[in-house]
Amino acid sequence: MAVSVAPNAPAPTAKVSRRSKGGGMAIAQRRAGLLFVTPYILFFLLLQLAAFGFAIWVSFHHYDLLALDNPFVGLRNYARLTVNQDFLIALRNTTEYAVVVVILQTAFALLLAVLLNAKIKGRNFFRTTWYTPSVASSVVISMIFLYVYHPTGLLNSILGLVGIHTTEAYLQSTTWALPAIMFLNVWTTAPTFMLMFLAALQDIPKEIYEASMVDGASAVRKFFSITVPLLRPIIFLVVSLGIIGAFQIFDQAFIMTKGGPLKATLTVALLIYDNLFVDTGAVGIACAEAIVLGIIIFALTLISRRVIDTKIEY
Amino acid sequence: MSIASRLEPGAVVVPTLAEGRQPRPAEDSTERVNRLEIVVRYALYIVITLFLFVPFVMTVLSSFKTSAEVIAFPPTFLPSVWHPENYLNVLTQISGFPRMVFNSFFVTFVVVALNLFFDSLVGYAFARLEFPFKNTLFAIMIATMVIPGFVFIVPRYIMLLNAHLVDTYFAFMVLYFLQPAYILLMTQFFKSIPRDLEEAAIVDGLGWFGIFWKIILPLARPALLATGILTFQGMWNNFLDWVIYMQSPTMQNIQLGLVSFRGQYQNQWNLIMAGSVLAILPILIIYVAGQKYFVGGAATSGMK
Repeated sequence: MAVSVAPNAPAPTAKVSRRSKGGGMAIAQRRAGLLFVTPYILFFLLLQLAAFGFAIWVSFHHYDLLALDNPFVGLRNYARLTVNQDFLIALRNTTEYAVVVVILQTAFALLLAVLLNAKIKGRNFFRTTWYTPSVASSVVISMIFLYVYHPTGLLNSILGLVGIHTTEAYLQSTTWALPAIMFLNVWTTAPTFMLMFLAALQDIPKEIYEASMVDGASAVRKFFSITVPLLRPIIFLVVSLGIIGAFQIFDQAFIMTKGGPLKATLTVALLIYDNLFVDTGAVGIACAEAIVLGIIIFALTLISRRVIDTKIEY
Repeated sequence: MSIASRLEPGAVVVPTLAEGRQPRPAEDSTERVNRLEIVVRYALYIVITLFLFVPFVMTVLSSFKTSAEVIAFPPTFLPSVWHPENYLNVLTQISGFPRMVFNSFFVTFVVVALNLFFDSLVGYAFARLEFPFKNTLFAIMIATMVIPGFVFIVPRYIMLLNAHLVDTYFAFMVLYFLQPAYILLMTQFFKSIPRDLEEAAIVDGLGWFGIFWKIILPLARPALLATGILTFQGMWNNFLDWVIYMQSPTMQNIQLGLVSFRGQYQNQWNLIMAGSVLAILPILIIYVAGQKYFVGGAATSGMK
């Protein structure tokens, strides 16, 4: 058994096989590797690279799904976005939505994780129930919140219990519709990120807290001067995933408000859908919008990395 | 690139909530202060539990009420009369409901099966085999994971339209036969398996596919379960792709069906709630049974 000379020292397989049977094994391995990875190569070339290139190409054309000829229009689709009222409204709504949701869901997720990381009885019960909103589909959550936000639904019933009597129709109000969808999304997404924070909290060495106990630091100070700095990489990850998700908000707005009332919940993703399926000859614009959205998300992710310096100094 | 490279293999398995992480300060506290602190603390936990869980409880209870009682003012907590027949009415009143359930299950199962095979196959190659452009391809995979999905929607729609795959089950098989997030998950798992077994198999003359299929896959149960469960959740809960790529009424899944039912019968709150319970049930069962695998989902959601 020449191969298993050093079973405990993991040598690269390639080296091992080359040593044992000359070049034959290495060639076989190379061939197998390329063959195994072919599905991914196809996925990348067709569904990502070609699709991305095609998206850019379409964004430079006046594109109609039914037309035979789609003339080149250069950057006109992009130029039109800067004066398109709907796009500007959608962009403002989406940005407002994303800023609020990302901040609140990150903070709430961190709070939940810290609470679950404490030594208490029934921790598993709390973790299981707290995570449930993240298991349900966007449709089910939307249905539940249509009932919650109904003029005589759950929210107003609870408000009635504490003496606030109102029959506000939140989703029909230009003031409340967008905040209502923000709230719903914080509620569903925070538990997802809670689990990521929880995993990270458990990786923080106990000794660090023990040292601070000697110093007599308060719990709040310990949280801000020890926990938060140590969690910076995971905070960046949560904020990035939050930005990517929030800027693409579609399902809940589509199901609950269809962008209304009076475009108060019109988002960029809804507009892309409308331009693709509802308006004719606006497919080029839909692509331009999607690409602008992608660039914004990318830029904000980079900025958030600058802001949340991800290096850890112990 | 930086985002996904932070997903550690440990993220796949649930944290075991190691005891004693935050030593309780044993300073001045008298008995009474301690007791008060405990009460306040538990009150906070209970308030949060109510906040996150009560809407589900009310949904289940509402599904047994009459539609008028669901939105009655002043509200009721328990149904004044239980109406289990609401569930039967969902099955009969939502036109094509059995077909929607079939569509949901069929697409979910096929996509899960495809992902179990392809994600692990590609993941194995990345983890263990040496081949040209391996590192480049892996870097590409990580980097492209953060591209927002909406960038791909229009071109993919046109491509599927031209290939006559819109409105067919094949659309989902093409779009989701593998998912980079779970290839990454499998890669990280395979890297943690000791090499001894494969090395023995190489000597035995088992080919690479034989090694993958007969030796590695049986060991990969935890990672396969995570991939399968998370893919199940993603496909079962999927709404956007059905809205975009499916157009005929027979090609709706249960989520889309619920939305169109609600569009037709805005006031049938009890049936909407019963339908919601049915739509969440399979995923809830899987959640309760395979809770620990959902942590990986936290790390991968939003990256597709």
